[in-house]
Amino acid sequence: MRAKGKKPAPSAPLGIEARVDALAEILRRHELNEIEVEEGGVRIYVRRGGGDAALVHAAPMFHGAPGHAAPTPHAPAPTASGATPSLSSPSSSTDTGDGNVAYVTSPFVGTFYRSPSPDSAPFVDVGTRIKKGQVICIVEAMKLMNEIESEIEGSIVQILVENGQAVEYGEPLFKIKVG
Amino acid sequence: MFKRILIANRGEIALRVIRACRELGVETVAVHSLADTNALHVKFADESVCIGPAPAKESYLHIPAIISAAEVTGAEAIHPGYGFLSENAEFAEMTERCGLKFIGPPSKIMRLMGGKISARKAMVEAGVPILPGTGLLETDDQAMTAVEEIGFPIIIKASAGGGGRGMKIVKDRERLLAQLEVARAEALAGFGSSDVYLERYVEAPRHIEVQVVADGKGGVAILGERECSIQRRHQKLVEEAPSAALDDNQREQLMAVCEKAMRAINYSNVGTLEFLYERGNFYFMEMNTRIQVEHTVTEMVTGLDLVREQIKLAAGEPLSPAFTGRFRPRGHAIECRVNAEDPIKFTPSPGRITALNLPGGFGVRVDTHIYEGYVVPPNYDSLLAKLIVHAEDRHSAIRRLRRALGEFVVEGIQTNLDFHRRLIDHPDFVAGRLDTHFLERFSTENAPAVA
Repeated sequence: MRAKGKKPAPSAPLGIEARVDALAEILRRHELNEIEVEEGGVRIYVRRGGGDAALVHAAPMFHGAPGHAAPTPHAPAPTASGATPSLSSPSSSTDTGDGNVAYVTSPFVGTFYRSPSPDSAPFVDVGTRIKKGQVICIVEAMKLMNEIESEIEGSIVQILVENGQAVEYGEPLFKIKVG
Repeated sequence: MFKRILIANRGEIALRVIRACRELGVETVAVHSLADTNALHVKFADESVCIGPAPAKESYLHIPAIISAAEVTGAEAIHPGYGFLSENAEFAEMTERCGLKFIGPPSKIMRLMGGKISARKAMVEAGVPILPGTGLLETDDQAMTAVEEIGFPIIIKASAGGGGRGMKIVKDRERLLAQLEVARAEALAGFGSSDVYLERYVEAPRHIEVQVVADGKGGVAILGERECSIQRRHQKLVEEAPSAALDDNQREQLMAVCEKAMRAINYSNVGTLEFLYERGNFYFMEMNTRIQVEHTVTEMVTGLDLVREQIKLAAGEPLSPAFTGRFRPRGHAIECRVNAEDPIKFTPSPGRITALNLPGGFGVRVDTHIYEGYVVPPNYDSLLAKLIVHAEDRHSAIRRLRRALGEFVVEGIQTNLDFHRRLIDHPDFVAGRLDTHFLERFSTENAPAVA
C-alpha cells in the first residue's frame, strides 16, 4: 500500500532495513535493476548489486471464518491537493546482499491478521519454525478470512506488517530464514 | 460529495479522473497491476494499491481485488473509466451491494442498454429510428422470413457484443444459415451468450454519436454529436465535433430524439448514443453507458467538464446549471489517438520511451500518461496519448492539428504519429467526405512499397 503526501503511512512505519530487503526481493523477482518507493515521507531507492534471495508466493486457502472484527479502513488522509510525485533522482541508495532468505507475500489485496480471532494467540512469532503447508496468517478479502499457508520450511526472522494492516498484492508479509 | 474515490482503471483515463478529483477536492486511490508500478496514475493518486499481476484478468478485471482495495482504503465510490469493468453491470451491482457508489448509471439501466436486443427494443419504444431488423433470433425459420423483408446484405450481431466484435455480414441467402451458426458459436465463446439478431447492413455509413448527461431526476443535457468515422476494425482513430455532415436542422432533430429517449428510460450519469448515418437518415446502433475515450472533443466544443459532472451526479447532485438543454458546438475540435504500434503492420509496439516532446500552445490539449523513460507494458491497449485541438472552425482545426502533430515526438517505440500526419492531409479528410471505410481505402492508397 502506498500513500502519498506529508502525513505518515497508514501503519506503524516499517523498519527501513525490512523495507529494503523487501524491495530487493521485488527487484530480483522482476529482474529490475533499480526501484524507488515513497512511503510515509521516506523515500527508498534500491539498486541491484548481488545477493540472491528466493521468494515464496503464499498459497491462500479459502474458508469463511468469522471471528475477526471488520477491519478499520486505513485512512492516511493525505490532502487531495497532494504532493508532487517524483519521477526521478533517488535520495538514498543501498545495496543488498541477503543469502538464504525468502519472503512470504500477500496473494491478494486485503487485511492482514496474525491470529485466527482477536483474542487468540498469533499463528506464528519471530523465531517460530514453520513447515510447508502451515497456516501463518490470515488475509481478509471480501469478508472472507483466507488462511495463508507457507510454502517453505524455515524460521521466521521478521513479521513485516502489523496486525490489522491493509496489504496489497505481492506485499511481503514475513521474512523467513530458509532451512 | 465523496471524500475519497477509487479509480478502477489505468493509463490516461485514470489520470483524467484523478485530475477531476483534485479539482473537486476529492482524494484518489489508484489501483494497479505489477506491470504498472511505475505508471503515472499510481504516482499522482493520493494512495495506491497493487491489486494483482500483469494480466488484466487478474488485476484490472478482477472484481474482488478492486472491491477489497476500495474497502481497505476507505474509498466511498469507484470510477470505472472506460474499457475494463466500465460496462459490467455485475460489477456495478456488486459495488452497490458493498455500500460503494458506482460512478455511472444504476446497474439496472446498464443492463437494459448493455444488451443490444433490449436496448434496441427500448429505443424503438422511445421513438428512436433503428435499422430494419429482428429481435432475438430463436429459430432459423425466423431468420429466413426476416431476410425476405429486410433484403441483403444483412449483418448478424451478438446481443452481448460490442466494439465491433461478434458481427457477421451476409450477402446472400445461401450463406445465411451457415453464418448464423458460426455467429452463435462465436457469440457464446466471446460473450457467454449465443443470443444473436440481424439487421440491414449499411455499406458506407458515417459513425455519428451523441453525448448525453442526465441526473435521473428530470435533468437532461444533450451535448451535441461527435463523428468517429475514421476507424480501423471498429477501433476509432480520429474523432471530431461537430460532424461535417450535419447542418443545424439535422443536429437539432437528432438531439431532440436523444433527449426524448433519455427521458423515456430515465437515464442518469453520462452516456453516448451511437448512430449510423446514411443519406440523411440516422439509425440507432448501441449505447455506451460510460465515459468514452473521445469525450474530450465534446468538452472542447462545450467548455464543460464531463468527468467532474459524472462524479457530482454519482454523489447525488442534480445536473449542474451549465448542463441544460441541447447544446450548439462552439468551434471545432478534433482528436487523434496516438497508439504504440507498428505503422505498417499495426501490431503493438511496447517498450521504453527514450525521448518525448508533447505538443502545446493555443488550442492544443494532450491527455496522456506517458513520460520520458516510461516503459509501455505489453499487457494492455496501445493508447499512448490523445491529442486534441480546438479552433474556430474545421479548417483551422485541421491546420492546428497538423502543427501540433509536427511538434509531437516519441522515440524508443513505434507510434502511429506519421500515419496521423498523412491521414489529416488526405483530400477526403480535409473535405469531410468520410465513412467508416475511409481507412481501408486510405491504407490501400498508402500501402508501403514492399521490396
